[in-house]
Amino acid sequence: MHILEIEGVSKIYGSVKALQNVNLSVRKGEWLAIMGPSGSGKTTMMNIIGCMDKPSSGAVLLDGVDIAKESGGALTAIRRDKIGLIFQQFHLINYLTALENVMVAQYYHSMPDEEEALKALARVGLAERARHLPGQLSGGEQQRVCIARALINYPALILADEPTGNLDEVNEGVVLDIFRKLHREGSTIIVVTHDPEVAREAERVIVLEHGRVAKEVLNKK
Amino acid sequence: MFWRMVKGALLRQKGKMLLIAFTIALGASLSTAMLNVMLDVGDKVNKELKTYGANINVLPKGASLIGDLYGVSGGSGVADKYLLENEIGRIKTIFWAFNIVDFTPYLETAAKIGGNDARLAGVWFNHHLALPTGEELDTGMQNMKNWWRLSGGWLSDADDDGAMLGSLAAERHGVKPGDKLTVEARGRKKQLQVRSVFNAGGKEDEDIYVTLKTAQELSGRPGLVSRIEVSALTTPDNELSRRAAQDPKSLSTKEWETWYCTAYVSAICYQISEVITDSAVKPIRQVAEAEGAILAKTKLLMLLITVFSLAGSALGISNLVTASVLERGSEIGLLKAVGARNFPVSLLVLAQIMIAGLAGGTAGYFAGLGFARVIGHSVFGAAITVKPIVIPLVAVLTLLVILAGSVPAVRMLLALRPAQVLHGR
Amino acid sequence: MTMKRETFFLKIVACSLLRRHSKLLTAILAVAAGAAIVSGLTTIYYDIPRQMGREFRSYGANLLFAPAGDRAALTADEAGKAALFLPADAVVGVAAYRYNTIRINEQPFMAAGAALAEVQKTSPYWLVRGGWPRAGQEALIGQEVADITRLVPGSAFTAVFTDRQGKSSEHAFTVSGVLQTGGTEEAFVFMSLPDFENMAGAGGFDIVECSVSLPGADIEKLAARINEEIPGLAARPVRRVTESETVVLTRLQALVYLVTVVVLLLTMISVATTMLAAVAERRREIGLKKALGAPSASIVAEFLSESLLLGGLGGLLGGIFGFLFAQMISANVFGRPLSFPLLLLPFTVAASVLVTGAASALPAKSAARVEPAIVLRGE
Repeated sequence: MHILEIEGVSKIYGSVKALQNVNLSVRKGEWLAIMGPSGSGKTTMMNIIGCMDKPSSGAVLLDGVDIAKESGGALTAIRRDKIGLIFQQFHLINYLTALENVMVAQYYHSMPDEEEALKALARVGLAERARHLPGQLSGGEQQRVCIARALINYPALILADEPTGNLDEVNEGVVLDIFRKLHREGSTIIVVTHDPEVAREAERVIVLEHGRVAKEVLNKK
Repeated sequence: MFWRMVKGALLRQKGKMLLIAFTIALGASLSTAMLNVMLDVGDKVNKELKTYGANINVLPKGASLIGDLYGVSGGSGVADKYLLENEIGRIKTIFWAFNIVDFTPYLETAAKIGGNDARLAGVWFNHHLALPTGEELDTGMQNMKNWWRLSGGWLSDADDDGAMLGSLAAERHGVKPGDKLTVEARGRKKQLQVRSVFNAGGKEDEDIYVTLKTAQELSGRPGLVSRIEVSALTTPDNELSRRAAQDPKSLSTKEWETWYCTAYVSAICYQISEVITDSAVKPIRQVAEAEGAILAKTKLLMLLITVFSLAGSALGISNLVTASVLERGSEIGLLKAVGARNFPVSLLVLAQIMIAGLAGGTAGYFAGLGFARVIGHSVFGAAITVKPIVIPLVAVLTLLVILAGSVPAVRMLLALRPAQVLHGR
Repeated sequence: MTMKRETFFLKIVACSLLRRHSKLLTAILAVAAGAAIVSGLTTIYYDIPRQMGREFRSYGANLLFAPAGDRAALTADEAGKAALFLPADAVVGVAAYRYNTIRINEQPFMAAGAALAEVQKTSPYWLVRGGWPRAGQEALIGQEVADITRLVPGSAFTAVFTDRQGKSSEHAFTVSGVLQTGGTEEAFVFMSLPDFENMAGAGGFDIVECSVSLPGADIEKLAARINEEIPGLAARPVRRVTESETVVLTRLQALVYLVTVVVLLLTMISVATTMLAAVAERRREIGLKKALGAPSASIVAEFLSESLLLGGLGGLLGGIFGFLFAQMISANVFGRPLSFPLLLLPFTVAASVLVTGAASALPAKSAARVEPAIVLRGE
């Protein structure tokens, strides 16, 4: 069963063709990595998968719903319900504690629930740092808060944008461990990355070039 | 390269620079307007007060005001002493001639109407005067008594058969506008037509006003007047002027000069007595004192309001400048990252803001002049005099506000490490 | 344990204000400065007539009571009744005068008897060389009387009073001081009422001068009412004084009003730009919230409540400072404390909330337009 199906998607900004007739299917529970050099269309691809932008043509079926046909407001609702986002820059709100940062996602989704948010932090090993402000956390810890926030609403799809780009090797290892654990538990993960080390962890890697899928590699475990 | 960067910021960051210029323009216009108004409010309020009565009385030396008294006429104080009508114009030739707003002569005489006692006063209503200096002006009661309520119009100076009656006099003699009335004074009789009745809310309500010529004819005193009321713009009294009022001879030469060349009411009185033969010139203390007090308070009030609203707007503007400098944190971080030292970076930012500020300040100054005009016309019904001193004041104020707004912000940004700024943390 | 959505909303707003000290401080400062100036100016605006009104009392009496029609004098009873119509807190002084002719060295002068303490209040502009009469049989003589009789402070004179029957009596007085006014008063001899009655016997008042700290229109109304209620007494506003006061006060008020409006405008612009800068600086945060699924309405609501809270806080602070500022002006200019309309404080807070809200509407709207995609790499 496919959680995401992209059929013949193109995206044109003025005269720039960011994506040209891309086709891609992602199975439920699959771990996919998207690679490619700068300007290959990675960011546009992420925007479309993350429901933050709509394709110029083609269909994007997320959990059976064609997001290309939805309005802005409905897209916001779909993003809220189906997608968990993880960023290179973590993007924690710096005046809220780790716990509150997780609760913000609950708040926009449904109901803030402190206990559940604590559990999510415990899952990424940060239970005892829950009351700290982002400024008091290391980069790795901040990224784990970001992951906890992405997981809190049980998204159908976890979308990670260069999740280890701002981390040292030790923390990169910690984050990848969490990803492996999530994968074992059956989460669907799409990671956009430059880093071949990170991409190697995925089951499948696609490489974008000039807005097209140039290469597809299946990693053997 | 420095100027290229300054130019680049000004031209390519038009929006931000315009915002800074606009804010500074606003502040500069407010301060220009307030300062101009403040510096002029004294004159304006003074003129306003002046429309409510004379503040100087010119009498023949040795004569007395006793004729004005309640019911007393004739007696020790009333001597047959008069001033000459043809000297009145000289009042407009004294050192402080420009401060003389209006004046009118009075010739008062006791009269009888149908057997009843009445008081008759001959005055100028709106008399045209050609001075020996070639200057011409219109002056008289009409300008000095604008709180009188008239049923009918003012008498004209050529209307020698007309009269204006005070409301109490009209009641007593049972006449209304249009009626005829025979006045008898010192054996002469004259028929006058009542042109209008006025309510002055004062002692004048018991009097009959006619042209000076009529009064001179009736009383048989051609070319003479019994007193002159003068309304002059004056500077509030101080210790010096009080001393001078007691005895001008007690002043030292230097004090004398200061006193003579300041528009104190006592100095103006002294100067009038110099030009009118055998005159005693007295300030009407009720008016002079009250005006002094009110003017002083008004000026102080305006000064404080100006200072506070300037302080308030300076705070707001420097706040904005701070915000717009902080906004450029990443640019400053970048400059430092490529190796710029603190001083040139600060200079660059300051230069950009100063240029924007100069443009804004200049625009604001002229907008402020316009605003002062609006205030002048809507509040005082007259243009506010533009004072050149305001230009350096506004320039210094604007400079201070810009510095106060930008220097701490620039210092704060410089204190950060470039990496922190660039990563937006 | 779930938390109410509203509670968490408030928590976000409160945290965003409390944990961003410096930004909060600048924004509150901007609002408070504006609120202080505006509320201070408003207080002054409303207090100008009262405060300047007192200054205008140096003009002297602005309301006269005289016997109406052909009556010769007012009884003390009538004068007292009329004075009761004057609002007690506005009365500066009420001086009742009696006049009669006396002779000094065979020359006739007008003597006036009055409660001299009240005269000092109604005629503050009198310049007295020497002193006011304190003991009995002391008199204040006008400059003109002094010129004619050559009396100086301290000299003694004899006043000859002739009553209606033609009977003369002699009374010894000492000159306490010489009066200069530039007006008719300089030809009078002033003495205390008991001394006057001792000489001329009991009798009614010729005129009552009142100095009342009220605007011109109120004086006119008061006079009309007194005329209606007390027959035989004519209350006359001294229009030269009342109208000059009205005009100057109106002008001053208009001036302060204009300044207030301009400062208010400046405050609004200042707050709006501060909020705009805040939006610009928080674009990433807004983008993140949108990426997390926050609807635009929610972003606008957060932003607006933040600025409203700011407005309220700044307004409260500004209201208090504004009062202090008005108090300072009043103490400096008028040397009197100010009556602070308590209603002005909630009004100031409400106005600041309104102004901040209005000024933040545009920034909030622009916040809602932030694209969530900016949180992704490469932006």
